[in-house]
Amino acid sequence: MSVETHAHHEHPDVVGSRNRLGVILLLVADISFALSMVFVYFYLRGQNVNDMWLPAATADRPAILPISSSSAWIVTAVCAFGALTHIYGLRGARAHNQTQLKLGSLVALVASIIAIAIQVNTISSVPFTFNDGAYVSCLYMFAFLNFVHLALTIFISLGNWNRARLGLYTENFWHVDIVRIWWIWMTVSSLLGAFCLTYP
Amino acid sequence: MTTLTHKSVAAPGKSIIEKLNVFTALALGIITAVVVWRLSLAFLPQDADGATMFTREDKITLLSMCGWFVGFMTGIGALVGPFRWLMGKDLSHDENMFLAGQDMGPKRYLRYTTDHKVVGIQYLFITILIFFLGGGLAMLIRTNLGHATGGWIHPQAYNSIVGTHGILMIVGTIIMVTGPFGNFIMPIMIGARDMAFPRLNALSFWLIVAAAVPLMWGQFIGGISTGWSAYNPLASQAPLGMDGYIMYICIFAVSTMVAGANITTTVVKMRAKGMTWNRTPIFIYGTVASVALALPAFPVFFLSQVLSAFDRALGTTFYNTAGGGSGWLYENLFWIMGHPEVYVILIPAIAALMEMAPVFTRRPLFSFNVAIMGIAGISGLSALVWAHHMYMSGWAPLLNAPFMITTELISIPTGMLFLVLVGTLWRGRLWMTMPLMSIFALLWNFMIGGITGIYLSDVPADAFLHGSMYVTAHFHYTLMGAGLTGALASLVYWFPKMTGRMFDKTLSWVSFWLVQIGFNVAFVGMFAVGLAGQPRRVESYAPTFNTGNLITTIGAYTIMIGMLVLLYGVISSARNGVKAPKNPWQAKTLEWTVDYPIPLENFDVLPIVTADAYGYGKAKS
Amino acid sequence: MVDVMTPQTPQWWKKPDVKKTAILWVICTAVIGFVGVEFHVRSMVRPASETMSGVISLMRIFTWAAAPVAGLVGAMCITVLTSKRHYGDNPPAEADHEIRNSPRATALWVVVSGILCLFALVTGMIVLQQDNKAVLDTQAIQINVTGQQWVWNFDYANGARSQDLYLPVNKPVVFHITSKDVKHSFWIVQMGIKMDANPGYTTETAVTPDKIGVFDVRCAELCGLLHAYMQTKVHVVSQADYDAWLTAHAATEAGA
Repeated sequence: MSVETHAHHEHPDVVGSRNRLGVILLLVADISFALSMVFVYFYLRGQNVNDMWLPAATADRPAILPISSSSAWIVTAVCAFGALTHIYGLRGARAHNQTQLKLGSLVALVASIIAIAIQVNTISSVPFTFNDGAYVSCLYMFAFLNFVHLALTIFISLGNWNRARLGLYTENFWHVDIVRIWWIWMTVSSLLGAFCLTYP
Repeated sequence: MTTLTHKSVAAPGKSIIEKLNVFTALALGIITAVVVWRLSLAFLPQDADGATMFTREDKITLLSMCGWFVGFMTGIGALVGPFRWLMGKDLSHDENMFLAGQDMGPKRYLRYTTDHKVVGIQYLFITILIFFLGGGLAMLIRTNLGHATGGWIHPQAYNSIVGTHGILMIVGTIIMVTGPFGNFIMPIMIGARDMAFPRLNALSFWLIVAAAVPLMWGQFIGGISTGWSAYNPLASQAPLGMDGYIMYICIFAVSTMVAGANITTTVVKMRAKGMTWNRTPIFIYGTVASVALALPAFPVFFLSQVLSAFDRALGTTFYNTAGGGSGWLYENLFWIMGHPEVYVILIPAIAALMEMAPVFTRRPLFSFNVAIMGIAGISGLSALVWAHHMYMSGWAPLLNAPFMITTELISIPTGMLFLVLVGTLWRGRLWMTMPLMSIFALLWNFMIGGITGIYLSDVPADAFLHGSMYVTAHFHYTLMGAGLTGALASLVYWFPKMTGRMFDKTLSWVSFWLVQIGFNVAFVGMFAVGLAGQPRRVESYAPTFNTGNLITTIGAYTIMIGMLVLLYGVISSARNGVKAPKNPWQAKTLEWTVDYPIPLENFDVLPIVTADAYGYGKAKS
Repeated sequence: MVDVMTPQTPQWWKKPDVKKTAILWVICTAVIGFVGVEFHVRSMVRPASETMSGVISLMRIFTWAAAPVAGLVGAMCITVLTSKRHYGDNPPAEADHEIRNSPRATALWVVVSGILCLFALVTGMIVLQQDNKAVLDTQAIQINVTGQQWVWNFDYANGARSQDLYLPVNKPVVFHITSKDVKHSFWIVQMGIKMDANPGYTTETAVTPDKIGVFDVRCAELCGLLHAYMQTKVHVVSQADYDAWLTAHAATEAGA
């Protein structure tokens, strides 16, 4: 985000490097958040308390079977695509090619919207209720993480595209560079979830 | 102001910024909460008959609290910046100056003001408020425990008081040094014009205000009857007040992360020219270690509460063993945050006293490098010790030994901090002030807290001590006896810079002795009953514990009187205290080079640093 | 260790403040060690098992091990505080030295604290090892402990069930602990053992009571409304009494 000190115009590179560090530090927090989700997943999977990680069939309902992790991988792939197109746009900005920047940002925005659509579709079509055991709880947890991250990504890439469109990134484009860091982390965090769900 | 009015004609967006303040925030927060509440009441489906979990009321409560949060933060103006960025209309210089509270007078304290000095005062105010509330609850606890069977508070209310006291004090002590002094003093101390991210700074403060309301709200819908640790599955069967706790922790965790990123960036990137790492004051190190430690720790706490909310409101089974969940999972998540958190509290308080030690002994800080090693060692090790809170939980008996090793290793860097303080006092010229005596008080209290910590870190001894009043007394010795002592000394020490007036000397002494004596009386009594076998968090006890509890209660009342004297001192000194000179303590850090009132951007010309701040001693003068 | 500030002076130990500190160190160590040990031992409950006696001697050892360190800090503080103090609104003259560190003192300090730390670890490990072994004793009496809000239930091998715990003296016992609802913590105060009762899990702890008498069981983990009242008694009795009690109660269980 563009947060500048309220006084004394400073050199954009100084402001940019400061913002970059700030975002990286905030990402440290978010990384810790996502990694503790991985911990939750494997802890509950390893404990399998009362054999309820994937509950067996009862009189009321059939056994819970894990769903395929392919949709999680698809979301990850879309995110990776978004990250790549964003980087493509960033290279455009570096080469003073505004058209490439605008195109890259726009495609990245579209990718984030597609990803969230897939994510919402997946989670609304799973054949589970919330209390179908620990695996299902963790599935919802990762879906929640991805949903929140993707919603943020839409906001960020919308702003990024809009600002590119308005021509704000002709001289300084450290914003675009920072958004790139976010896109990469978005991809990695989605990958973490997909990786976990591959091992039900 | 004139330029602003002039420009506001041109840019219509500015009028919104001008209108928003804490009242619009409160109004919008309440309206949103009520609207969300009515809507969810109307549209959320009823719980099915015979459902395993009744979740509808939790959903309604949590949604309404989220409504409050979003409404409040919108109303205070937290979203202005991000949306202006989205629209590509970045805040102009004049708007930023308005947000910084230029020429605004006292009203700026009620706004989303970005000036670090305003944020520091706001933090000071809310810290005092938190201690007032938390202390009041402590007095209720001690009064209830004053005599054995005379518990006059209903057990449910008592449990809620214990929990609320705990979490209020934890939050209060986390922010007590890095909030007021880390925000007000730190940027001036490193020779910066403001924090790296002024708007995030305002955000971190107003998030705490936004968080406080759900906690208070929770008091009226069943309370937090689980203690501050809110162990599941007890928390999942607790009343709706628990949702208030969950919201409070989640919002506070975000505030901590934002503040952590902000303060760290400021120190790394914005130190004055010439302020190399070995010329950076030790207080800065303490502050950064504290917030940087919180940065990876608090998200884990955040997650533990999000999952708790899922369990309560959606019926998932993260902690519910019947559905494959695990209470040990909660304990791990909680303490992975919980142990770094105590050092988040302690390190800046000790670092502040280290900053004062050379000033009041008129000699250089002893072993600056060892101090940094100690702080770094504690920070590093503190991430590896969490399971010593779980020795007796049985989650992994084989891991007890490794965790015992890491825990006891922490005594080595802690010892280094002692060495630095004692070494600085040695052959100094004592200037008898309340901050100086606080160093002695800290050494005394922290020695007791530290040695009792060694007993507790030993697994076989912990099998007896765990969960007893002994533990309660131990962590009060560290967090209050050491931590709060440092914070109160900081208050007196930096009071002249923050208010322009000296803190009343007599009042500072009276309060110091009342608090310290009361404190030691109270918690030595608590050690005794703990050793005799009184569990924590009980609202009544066997008659054998009578005497010890009575002593503790008497001590607690003494602390209360001392703290009230201090509060009176703050108010009266801020209003009518002796006008302070620029550098009343003849200290050598940069914050004493600016005049009161400190200009909006601290320095006209940024200072250049040529030596560290500890150049006392004959050869120098 | 007290040469902290005077590395260049050859006869640092002849300085008056050093001498004073040395004498105070001895006194402080003795006082802190004695008071610390007496405070702990007198406050603590009388032991009813070897485990608890072990805890008490651990506290003794640790207190005496920590006393010299605390004593040194105390002695230095007293020396400093009893030297010339300055009151007033303006600072005193600056100190007559500008010593910023003393590698010797630092190294000594770190080594000594390292040794003390190691000592604490080894002592703790030895005892921990014994405790861990006791749990695996298959010859021991096995008792299932179930916590629930807000009572303890004890199930014996022969089917007897009680809410007061009965144990024979001088026989190892292993407890298998679980909970029906929330987390509790099973604490036999005078025997110095404690183990959480977790829903969904069974945890173990072991003890050998060595005294006949009535002792306390308390819940040591906040477990809701009546946590404070979740207490019961342990009756440690002779083997003959224990057998008689067990048979009597097994019979009632079977009859019921």
